[in-house]
Amino acid sequence: MMLARVADSLYWIGRYVERAEHLCRLSDVMLTATLDRTESATQIARIALAAVGDPDDAAKARRPYEAALALVLDREDAGSVASSLARARENARQVRDQITTETWERLNLIHLRMSDPTAAQTFADGSQAFLHDTIADLHLFKGAADATMSHGEGWRFLLLGVYLERAQLIGALLEVCFGDRKRRAINDHSALTSLLRMGCALEPYLRVYTADMQPRFILEFLLLDEDFPRSVRFCTARIEEHLGFLSRHVEAAGVSGPDRLAGRLRARLQYADIGEVQAGGSSAFLGAVLDECAAVHRQVYETFVAYTLEQRLPA
Amino acid sequence: MKLGAAKAGETSRRAAGDATATPYDEMRDAKGVVRPHYAALAARIETLSPDELAERQRTLERFFLLQGITFTVYGAESSTERIIPTDLLPRIIAAEEWKTIEAGLTQRLKALNMFLADIYSGQQILMDGVVPRDLVFNAPSYRREMQNLYVPHQAYANVCGSDLIRQPDGKFAVLEDNLRVPSGVSYMLANREASKRVFPGTFRGAGVRPIDRYPDLLLTTLKSMAADWRPNPQVVVLTPGVYNSAYFEHAYLARLMGVPLVEGRDLVVHDNMVYMRTTTGLRRIDIIYRRVDDDFIDPLTFRRDSGLGSAGLFNAYRAGNVVICNAPGTGVADDKAVYAYVPAIIRYYLGENAILPNIETFLCREPAQLGHVLANLDKFVVKAVGASGGYGMLVGPHSTKAQQDEFAAALKADPDNYIAQPTIQLSTAPCLIDHAIESRHVDLRPFILSGEKIVVTPGALTRVALRQGSLVVNSSQGGGSKDTWVLTDRKDLSP
Repeated sequence: MMLARVADSLYWIGRYVERAEHLCRLSDVMLTATLDRTESATQIARIALAAVGDPDDAAKARRPYEAALALVLDREDAGSVASSLARARENARQVRDQITTETWERLNLIHLRMSDPTAAQTFADGSQAFLHDTIADLHLFKGAADATMSHGEGWRFLLLGVYLERAQLIGALLEVCFGDRKRRAINDHSALTSLLRMGCALEPYLRVYTADMQPRFILEFLLLDEDFPRSVRFCTARIEEHLGFLSRHVEAAGVSGPDRLAGRLRARLQYADIGEVQAGGSSAFLGAVLDECAAVHRQVYETFVAYTLEQRLPA
Repeated sequence: MKLGAAKAGETSRRAAGDATATPYDEMRDAKGVVRPHYAALAARIETLSPDELAERQRTLERFFLLQGITFTVYGAESSTERIIPTDLLPRIIAAEEWKTIEAGLTQRLKALNMFLADIYSGQQILMDGVVPRDLVFNAPSYRREMQNLYVPHQAYANVCGSDLIRQPDGKFAVLEDNLRVPSGVSYMLANREASKRVFPGTFRGAGVRPIDRYPDLLLTTLKSMAADWRPNPQVVVLTPGVYNSAYFEHAYLARLMGVPLVEGRDLVVHDNMVYMRTTTGLRRIDIIYRRVDDDFIDPLTFRRDSGLGSAGLFNAYRAGNVVICNAPGTGVADDKAVYAYVPAIIRYYLGENAILPNIETFLCREPAQLGHVLANLDKFVVKAVGASGGYGMLVGPHSTKAQQDEFAAALKADPDNYIAQPTIQLSTAPCLIDHAIESRHVDLRPFILSGEKIVVTPGALTRVALRQGSLVVNSSQGGGSKDTWVLTDRKDLSP
């Protein structure tokens, strides 16, 4: 049992933190890729920007440093890393009684660093170090939550937010790269490597497929791998697991939870075959996955947070 | 760092508003000798260089920042978060002195609770003419809605934070009782956490009485207010929300008691029962430790424009289905005019003399007293009866002629609304100000819980007037705080 408002806040902390980490990683890959004077540098920048929902802007992609700076520190942009972290921290402040001091301290520290007046200068002095440290701190936050919070309802809402956000972010990245929209196919070795880096997947990929960079393998790995924590399939399995637990108590009250949707989504990915996905058009498949993720999100909200009182009043 | 006794003396002379009295120095006696209970701390400070002290101050501030013990300053373009100014050096109270304070506060709260129970039922004290009838009924904090409502153990003010000051003769006196929604207890607890980090050695040797049971005692007190037929009462803390300046405290107490922190929008009242919206549906609430003022708890009963409480909450309370702590209407007992009658109230109900004296108070509603106040405005502190937080106040010796004229006019126009007290030199304690140790005026706010029984936590929030010479300790007016060590009686310790 926990307050509906609190569950909502924990869920959003998870989403915002995951979003911030993903944006840091995309920025980092974009900046690293453009250090080498390769043909694919601009292409990589365009992929990164398209994956975060920026309209395809060739001029912006040619100035990756400015684009990354805005992506990370622009407080005017509600989608930037700094804004996401400010919101995560604001939510954490509202449920300060529900998260452990260890977990709170990590998030508060990251937020203080991001909102420090010298942050822009630190970014300019060494953007890769800045991004690396932020990602590492976000890992510490998740680690502290895992190691110090009770693995009960609150923690599961936090992780539900993390995995749902991750499934959608990776899904969106794959759609940019492998969707059927008329975009130049990605064949270049450095572009493919960068793509894996954006999913934090390079090293795990190499262990499975060796250094053989094939678009098909990459799609298969990021979409359907069972064990890799950033594959869409892995995320949906966790979503189903957490929702199954969270729905147990609601169902006792005679309300059907969102776990049916989550189970169907997990099954779609678990029993998919990469050949069939590509034959049927990867865009259609990815579109269906993203739609179902959005449906799970809506139903989580309706079941746990914004339910109508008439259903739940004592008889 | 060398502690200059002369320096402290010099500060006091300059700060003295009333030329006849030198403020009591918490650390040194009149001859400049360190008092025994301060000896260990004084010795420790002397071994530290200014840089080392400053380093400790930084550790302290970092602790507060990390914990998020901050308030937000809203600027034109951006808002920044600041920590509440906190002083490094603890204020120390000897065991013997604390015994008097503890007995005095217990006595006082007992009598005030009896007073509240009386005026909200038979009103015997008014009939006997001990307290003037109109003073009670005209007080804005008097709540007619509370009449003839059963309150368990007659515990109206479950949490009380009284402001004590130490007079130049070394005796503590009560300056103000806070029976509504007193705050500051989280700073008492956080200051202690911090000072254990910065002075671990001295702390260990000093024999400081622990205060960390406060959340546990608070929960026990709240639960003792539940009806017998609800064996596992659901307790919640009701906060106005994250933008309230005391939000940190609300979250802190909820976390340490292990109970939900709710806002008005989480509550639903149905059939005179109060529920909260949880992930699994509605759950009944038995006890609400509310940190929302009376006016805002129920738009149906009190202020209609309030969105902070819950509609129907007060009716559920009257129906006996939920307990609101502190009870609505307790403010009438900490009204600044009623304050003048507290010694008489104690005598009336308990047949005892007040252990902790009041500050001499002149009620401007009495024509003779008003005349005296008007003639000596430059010596008095004049306070508006309804105001708090250091606002609406004239500190005579520190005021200009224009300010005095302004207050004189206000006093004549609405004498009922004002009281006056002689300017008291608050005692001084050593503080670290810009790498140097200087004396600043301090007060003392202990916290008293009352449910089935009355408990005084052996600690307090010491508020500091950080501006040199200032006597105003409110955080809204340049005040800060410091940890307060109440020492164990060595005789009480088993070997």
